[in-house]
Amino acid sequence: MRKIFLVDINKCIGCRSCQVACKDEHCDNDWSPIAKPQPQTGHFWLELTENERGRTPYVRVDHMPKLCNHCADAPCMAAAAAAGKSDAVYRRDDGLVVVDPEKAQGMRTLVDACPYGEIFWNESLELPQKCTGCAHLLDDGWSVPRCVDACPADALRFGDESEFAGELAAAETLQPELGTGAAVYYLNMPKRFVAGEVYDPEEDEVVIGADVVLRNVAGNTARTLKTDDFGDFWFDQIPADVYSVDIKAYGFEPVSLSTDTTTADAVLDSVALRKIQ
Amino acid sequence: MKTKDSTTYKIVDWMGFGVGSIATAVDSTDGSVTRIRPLHFDDRHTPEELNEWKVEARGHTFKVGMRSYPSMLSYAYKKRVDSPNRIPYPLRRVDWDPQGERNPQNRGKSGYVRINWDEAAQIVADEIARMKDTYGTTAIFTQADGHGEPKTIGGGHGCMTRLMDIVGPYTQQARQPDSWEGWYWGAKHMWGMEPVGRNANQTNLFKDVSENADTVLLWGCDPETTNEGVAGLLPCRMLNFWNEIGIPLIAIAPDFNYAAAAHADKWFPVLPNTDAALQLGIIHVWLTEGTYDREYIDTHTVGFDWLVSHVMGHEDGIEKTPAWAASKCGIPARRIKALARHWARHNVSICHGEGGSMIRSAYAHEPARLEVCLLAMQALGHPGRNVIHMQSWNLYFMSHLSAVPTSDVVFSFAASFTGHYVNAATMNNFIPQTLVPDAILGNYTEENPLTWYGKVICSLPRQDQYTQYSYPAPGASRIHMIWTDTPCWETCWNGGFKMQDALRSPEIECVVVQHPWFENDVNFGDVILPISTKLEQDDIEQGLMSGSYDVALNALPACEPYGESLSDFEAVMKVAEKMGLADALLTSIWGDCSDAEKINGVPYEKAKRFAYETSGLMYEGASMNPFAAPEEIADAPEPTRRAWVPDYDEFAEDGWLAVPFSNSCEERSAGLYDFWRDPEAHPLMSDTGKIEIYANALAEHWPDDTERKPYPRWIEQGETHPDERLTTPRGEEYPFLMVSNHPHYREHANMDDIPWLREAGGKVIGPDGYGYEPAWINPVDAAKLGIESGDIVRIYNERGGVLGGAVVTNRICEHAVLQDHGARVDTVVAGVGGLDRGGANNLIAPSATTSKNCVGEVTSGFLVNVEKVDVFELAKQYPEAFGRPFDEAYGLIANPHIIEEA
Repeated sequence: MRKIFLVDINKCIGCRSCQVACKDEHCDNDWSPIAKPQPQTGHFWLELTENERGRTPYVRVDHMPKLCNHCADAPCMAAAAAAGKSDAVYRRDDGLVVVDPEKAQGMRTLVDACPYGEIFWNESLELPQKCTGCAHLLDDGWSVPRCVDACPADALRFGDESEFAGELAAAETLQPELGTGAAVYYLNMPKRFVAGEVYDPEEDEVVIGADVVLRNVAGNTARTLKTDDFGDFWFDQIPADVYSVDIKAYGFEPVSLSTDTTTADAVLDSVALRKIQ
Repeated sequence: MKTKDSTTYKIVDWMGFGVGSIATAVDSTDGSVTRIRPLHFDDRHTPEELNEWKVEARGHTFKVGMRSYPSMLSYAYKKRVDSPNRIPYPLRRVDWDPQGERNPQNRGKSGYVRINWDEAAQIVADEIARMKDTYGTTAIFTQADGHGEPKTIGGGHGCMTRLMDIVGPYTQQARQPDSWEGWYWGAKHMWGMEPVGRNANQTNLFKDVSENADTVLLWGCDPETTNEGVAGLLPCRMLNFWNEIGIPLIAIAPDFNYAAAAHADKWFPVLPNTDAALQLGIIHVWLTEGTYDREYIDTHTVGFDWLVSHVMGHEDGIEKTPAWAASKCGIPARRIKALARHWARHNVSICHGEGGSMIRSAYAHEPARLEVCLLAMQALGHPGRNVIHMQSWNLYFMSHLSAVPTSDVVFSFAASFTGHYVNAATMNNFIPQTLVPDAILGNYTEENPLTWYGKVICSLPRQDQYTQYSYPAPGASRIHMIWTDTPCWETCWNGGFKMQDALRSPEIECVVVQHPWFENDVNFGDVILPISTKLEQDDIEQGLMSGSYDVALNALPACEPYGESLSDFEAVMKVAEKMGLADALLTSIWGDCSDAEKINGVPYEKAKRFAYETSGLMYEGASMNPFAAPEEIADAPEPTRRAWVPDYDEFAEDGWLAVPFSNSCEERSAGLYDFWRDPEAHPLMSDTGKIEIYANALAEHWPDDTERKPYPRWIEQGETHPDERLTTPRGEEYPFLMVSNHPHYREHANMDDIPWLREAGGKVIGPDGYGYEPAWINPVDAAKLGIESGDIVRIYNERGGVLGGAVVTNRICEHAVLQDHGARVDTVVAGVGGLDRGGANNLIAPSATTSKNCVGEVTSGFLVNVEKVDVFELAKQYPEAFGRPFDEAYGLIANPHIIEEA
């Protein structure tokens, strides 16, 4: 049965336990024939990425562990085969893709073959290296790799694909357009947001309960919400797009704004509403 | 494939003081540490057997889980064993001659020569004897505290005090409440809450908040970062649970800290150390709109009118309106009003870690006390209206300090603890940690002494603060010798550059350092003793403060000792042997010991068995709680054997023992519920049993204190800190407020040389390849200063400067710069006015303490300026300092300090 990783971004707290436990397992330890030691720095067989979005004080920070996707149709395996060394990268029965540390010796091409940037070059060993799914531990009776064992938040899970069947429908993989059959799935992958504050400058009060309508430029979707107790509106998990924002509150002139989230999230400056005279 | 040879069990955290939290399994292969991993309790037990605690709220269930929750710091710890900065053998400073010239002025500059243990122990023994003959033993000053490895037989901090207890009266550095200064010096006088000063009634508060709170304010301090190294990451799961059940979390801090980044729905960026202004602005809204619980104020508090008078400006002519508050704290008035109104309409609880600008700044007693006022005005103790602390659970073996369920078993391995045992009753000669440089450098005599209030030990009740003490104490000497196992004053306390001057004073004739690594104050040692890490030691350990299962561990060595290193206690035994006091020292702890029992002079097996069998684990009613009152011990029932606890031999074989949670936790009322319901029947520990907004005791003891008055208020400036705000004149020259939190990528000064943590975000690699301590700057400020991410900046004031690697980020508010504390010192120019490359910003913190009569540390929220620097120009200017060898992955390399092989 194929093993997969399932990451829930909403649960990930960015503590880096996974990243450092991976180092603990693979630096200074030789797990041949599965893996040679990882260099102390520069390799991230699992990397916890941190992406800051928005603007003070409307800030979100996404945390996302990234590792080898153990692809069903692995570009690294194809590259090895193309180089006439098809046994330099192999797939185990459990689906984990392993770079053979002896047979892949010197094959720098494997580093470039991975479209996700998950194969690293070990300069001193002249070896391409990556996540092994801690296959050496699984073979020794462990049920999960070190990164998963270390996760305090159940954000990073590992197991037979069938165990997660009910959850995979809502999950995504990184760069699905590559069609590599990635085995690392993500729940609640971050999208864009549009946030801001609505206030009455005359009274210096926030405006609570204002209707805020967000429409995409094509005009075919609309989301609405009311500003909260702090006069804030926060449209979360929206697609990257160009939007109009219409704000209406009883007793105030309506305001229409446009905003663009195609490249980044949008924080609207504090939106001042004028009282209807 | 073989993935290990053996497994042992260790507490891997830095709580220190003999008691830790985070249980781990440590695998070894061929005598080296292979990995450090969580302990899985379900390897041996069902949840039912251990009575796994859970909280059910709003249709969801939280379970503590059947494992421990180490952080990245624990997982990285094997790198400290083979750190390039380990001290391999005893060292003597090359130009320190105990028989001749001592060259104190060269401390921090000179190299070291190798000596053997015999010589080292003899030198220390001779220096102690010389001190005794010349000045009396009170001339010997011990620094023995702080957050290091928790150990029992290994002792950790303070083993030398056990020897000094036999030698004669010595002078101690007094341990301070370093992460809760404001609560200790302020809130304590309002509501008791002994000994911590912050809400000590934590029982079932996680349950209460989960069930009843509408909003939680993550105020001031990061509950995740401050737990990484002392308690583990269970609090992260708890905050995730609040996210899951839909409780809005609002972060109030200058920085969008790590807990906020993971959990907060909203952020109120308050300028550093202006929380008091925000609090007063909120109170103004409640007063003017009548949206507070007047009845509760009448029945549960005294002195409310003093607060009203201050807020309405009757006292100083300044009404503390939201607009006034906005001018101080940087949050728009309309948002202060919105927060106040939301709070008044909902069940709001506050959630804290410890540390941070709110509680470690000038006059920190004010925001700490005002927080209690806010809570009181909204009926503190009402379900969902409380203040929950996410750490220090079970501190001092007090289960009511734990916001999550606890076990019924109080046990302690104190019987075999060799570290510092604070006996406040007999502690007569001491210097508060915050005053050490001043004590050394000032011209104090018995007739003209340095004075302060309180023994300042963090476990003492507030009455301790009423008594004045002095240095030199009557009949005692000034200090002339320092023996430290905590060589990190420079980078952990208030005004490290001044400490550098103090450590070079000719007043100090000898500095003995025992430590595993060559770092920080070790550079000022005259004799350096190499110490092993706990991973190299044999011990018996306990973990009590994680919120997960309490554990007892047979902590066998996971690897061989590095070089000639010994444990702290073994090192002290070496000195004791030279003094002819070895037997006396051993006997004082374990009775008579035969030579056959000893390894390196210490009877390990006997000590472990003794600790276990006297711990209170095996026998119910046989608690060895060292804090138990005599009558409590006398009244204890006849001990009965707990059937589920194995005897020592079986425990030693098993390696670990997990203690089940109590069955009765859920029945205990939450937090201050009983006080809320009936304050007469359930009074607080304050003098009146109520919340003393005006504390008579403060008025009686310090009638002339113009800073900490009997009631809390805004202190713009005072005699201790005349000019430390953006709105005071010095703010023009130094227009940034420093945020210096407990660090994320290390534990205080520990672990700054671990490559995996440095590359994870712990350092910013400069154009010269050196790893600089990150400095967060808001994009608006950065644009004004022409600073981009990756630039190297100097953060400075009159006390000196430290370098940092700029991180331009929206996670810090404007007019503030954030740099975590505890970076490894790499001094370019030493002493006051100096420069540090490592980014150890405690060097430039004020020496002045919390306030006139409160000797707390001020290590955050102080004024600085920031400028971009060219490190290549600095390298030309300071070729020696910038020429020191460093490794991009590990940082500064200490070996070149050793200039001569024996």
